[in-house]
Amino acid sequence: MSEPTTDRTEAEASAEPDFLKVSGLHAGYGQARVLQGLDFSVARGEVCAILGPNGAGKTTTLRALSGMVRGRGSVTLNGTELLGRSPEQAARLGVAHVPEGRGTFNDLTVEENLRIGAHLRTGPRWRGRPERAAVAADLERIYDYFPKLRQRSRQAAGSLSGGEQQMLAIGRALMLRPSLLLLDEPSLGLAPLVTRELFEIVRAVNEEERTTVVVVEQNAQLALDIAHRAHVLEAGRLVLSGPAQQIREDGQVAEVYLGVSVRSRKAG
Amino acid sequence: MSAVTDLLQQVVEGLGSGAVYASLALALVLIHRFTGIVNFAQGELAMLSTYVAWQLVASGMPFWLALPVTLAVSFAGGMLVERIVIRPVQGAPELTVVIVTVGLFIFVNALAGLIWSFTVKDFPQPFPDGGLDLAGVRVDWSTLGIIGVVAVVMGVLYLLFQHTSIGLVMRAVACNPASARLSGIWVGRVLMLGWGLAATVGAVSGVLVAPVLFLEPNMMGGVLIYAFAAATLGGFDSPVGAVVGGLFVGVAETLTGAYVGVIGADLKVGVPLVIILAVLLVRPQGLFGRAAVERA
Amino acid sequence: MNTITAALGTDRARRPRAALTVLLAAAAAVGAPFYFAPFQVFQLTMVLLYAVALAGLNLLVGFGGQISLGHGAFFAAGAYTAAVMLDRYDTGHLATLPAAAAGCFLLGLGFGVPALRLRGLYLALVTLSFAVFLPPLLKRLEPVTGGSMGLTVDKLQPPAWSGLAEDQWTYFVVLAVTVVALLLARNLLRSRVGRALLAVRDNESAAEVMGVRLSLHKTLAFAWSAMFAGVAGCLYTWVIGFVSPDSFSFVLSITLLAGLVVGGLASLYGPLLGAAFVMYVPSVSQDVSEAAPGVVFGLLIITVMFVAPTGLAGLPGRVLGAVSRRLPRTTAALDRTPEADSVPETDSVPEADSVPEAEPKSPAGSRPATTLTPADPAVVDAEPVGAPPRTEKE
Repeated sequence: MSEPTTDRTEAEASAEPDFLKVSGLHAGYGQARVLQGLDFSVARGEVCAILGPNGAGKTTTLRALSGMVRGRGSVTLNGTELLGRSPEQAARLGVAHVPEGRGTFNDLTVEENLRIGAHLRTGPRWRGRPERAAVAADLERIYDYFPKLRQRSRQAAGSLSGGEQQMLAIGRALMLRPSLLLLDEPSLGLAPLVTRELFEIVRAVNEEERTTVVVVEQNAQLALDIAHRAHVLEAGRLVLSGPAQQIREDGQVAEVYLGVSVRSRKAG
Repeated sequence: MSAVTDLLQQVVEGLGSGAVYASLALALVLIHRFTGIVNFAQGELAMLSTYVAWQLVASGMPFWLALPVTLAVSFAGGMLVERIVIRPVQGAPELTVVIVTVGLFIFVNALAGLIWSFTVKDFPQPFPDGGLDLAGVRVDWSTLGIIGVVAVVMGVLYLLFQHTSIGLVMRAVACNPASARLSGIWVGRVLMLGWGLAATVGAVSGVLVAPVLFLEPNMMGGVLIYAFAAATLGGFDSPVGAVVGGLFVGVAETLTGAYVGVIGADLKVGVPLVIILAVLLVRPQGLFGRAAVERA
Repeated sequence: MNTITAALGTDRARRPRAALTVLLAAAAAVGAPFYFAPFQVFQLTMVLLYAVALAGLNLLVGFGGQISLGHGAFFAAGAYTAAVMLDRYDTGHLATLPAAAAGCFLLGLGFGVPALRLRGLYLALVTLSFAVFLPPLLKRLEPVTGGSMGLTVDKLQPPAWSGLAEDQWTYFVVLAVTVVALLLARNLLRSRVGRALLAVRDNESAAEVMGVRLSLHKTLAFAWSAMFAGVAGCLYTWVIGFVSPDSFSFVLSITLLAGLVVGGLASLYGPLLGAAFVMYVPSVSQDVSEAAPGVVFGLLIITVMFVAPTGLAGLPGRVLGAVSRRLPRTTAALDRTPEADSVPETDSVPEADSVPEAEPKSPAGSRPATTLTPADPAVVDAEPVGAPPRTEKE
């Protein structure tokens, strides 16, 4: 697809190696236990990819981090325990989750979607938070990242294309000024070119904002291109962890664990 | 009186009752948009609010002071109902939720009877007697007043939803509660707010209709059916549809009662039944609703 | 589908005990009219006939998963069929029963066709509107129905050979019809029709894929259900000897649904318990005030939905289920102790209030055999955050 990306070594992000620390994470739905004890850390400012086949527990991992499902074990963000909190509380701790299937507010305009994203920062008018100006600036910043959204700022989100909706969902999450951005299958249902563009923007956001990102992807190739580190999940357990570059280059690993042939894809 | 003025006269009266249906239908639509529930107890909550207003007026408060107090009480009551009665079954199967609202219907109806008895009470007419004569068509002040009050309510709701940040948050929750939570919105509180608003809007319909129907615990039963028809016609997702549907149902009811001899005054309540059936069979999403209202 | 056997109790091992229970119940049923005072016998008779109506409603709501807030209308249709036949044509009581049954079956069939296209809430709306419309219609059809004055007809009279008093004879006749009706309802559910209904209720699209003729069965469910209500209405005329439009207001429809829910949906003896409620809660609390039955009834319905969605009939099963589940749970806990111990228990306290919306879903696994929960708990839990399901429209 593209040239091997610049080295996204851990060095550039290792100031706080345990910014997000997941230990012994178990989670599931009712009787079904999906996660069987995960341990991993994400450094501040790092992009971490979670890969694996369908049903491995990737989405559940993100949901546990943002409080959408209950988990056991421990997940700390900058030292604060995340488990046992509701999504509303997690958002207040700086966790922005872009769920699978985008999760835009389709009846609202693009700009209203973004304003909802900044809801926590502005709050009700009578409290008069000082961040109004900052939010307005952020809105411009998001429009700079996603020029298409600026063009469509007064359109209903439901009328956007799939790629634009995904951009909007990410933009909305960024309006929170998150310290941790969770992306669930951003490439789902999108054309390859659009996906490419999207991932480049995520990379740019990460580089410019120093936002820590955890991205869940089926498309391992894409995710590995922008990630610093990657973890491969299988049946609720981590089977492989390492620097993204290493995993990307070790084609055999990719074939065994991801069921994709990275090399042949690259060739093709 | 010529045939034309007679017809116009009927239309005016239809619009008067239609405004009341529109108001209750709007309450139904608000709750449906927020929670996907059709609240069978909406009319009874409105009736209870009307009793509060009656009690205040009977204890000497002037009507136009009693009204805002009643609306405030209704707002708090609606929030309470959401928190206590509806929250525990939120997300439960439809049948459970329907039955809970039916239980609330029975409870509230009987509660009003328990407190205020089942004897009919005279509710004060807040608008002056008399009216306008527009080219032979008589428009009572009360009709104008009802339409005016409902128009004001609509206007306030429009401003609230379209031009305030809390309105934006409420629309976001109605649209996608899961994403709203992820954005840090306390969805539970917003749902309470939605029920409070709906109860307030419903209370308006009760207070407006009480001078016409006389106040008793079963007063809103019939009105609820008309409001169902209005909401179905307009589309259960569309506030604008609720208003248009309400006016249409009001006019249709009056005209059928006046001109279709077989129907007459006593069988008018068949009109909403026919409208509901026709809409659901021909265009289930209603005039203004989006397709696929029902769940897969 | 696994709910069928549980609900019908066909477990062979239980047969001797079941037989004993039936025998005792039969003895009590036969002995009752000789033990109680006439008024109490009358009340029991009313319980029985309400049970017939509830059994019919149960076919539709409990097993079919369709909501009818207008079953009082079919009840009224049956009652008026009997009353008009007795009043104008003097046909004798016996002839009115098949006529009411057949008439209401056809009426239900007619309703079932549009009902097919109306899901859940919308069917509830239409049936409720119909129930509201019926009394004025009955008043209008004065030449036939007697208008608001209603019709007074002969009650059942005991034949001389029986040596029974009027209330006792009436009781036995109604008991006989009720037993036949309840057995019929039971057999209907065991038949292909019943299994198809359950399949449709639990998963409509899956049932359709499996070749269940959806429209046919849903329409038939409506027809059968209306027939039972009509039979109950006919019995009502026999017992009371008087019908008037105001006896069949929409409150009757709501009360029937409420009674069924309190008694227990999708249970075979739920209708009997529910009928007892419909009969006794009003008459007991009537002494307090005119409004008391409604207050009690409303609170009961809401409470039952909160704490015992399976109704009173399901309560013993739920309690037993909860107890028996203790055991497997402990072993499961032992299985994973090594990991569980190594992990600090962070979820125990905060989860209770931190994810409040998810609460109503979690007890899903503990609800046996009702419409109120899909058969497969996993289906309920698949959506982790308790968001209102409607709103995720794409």
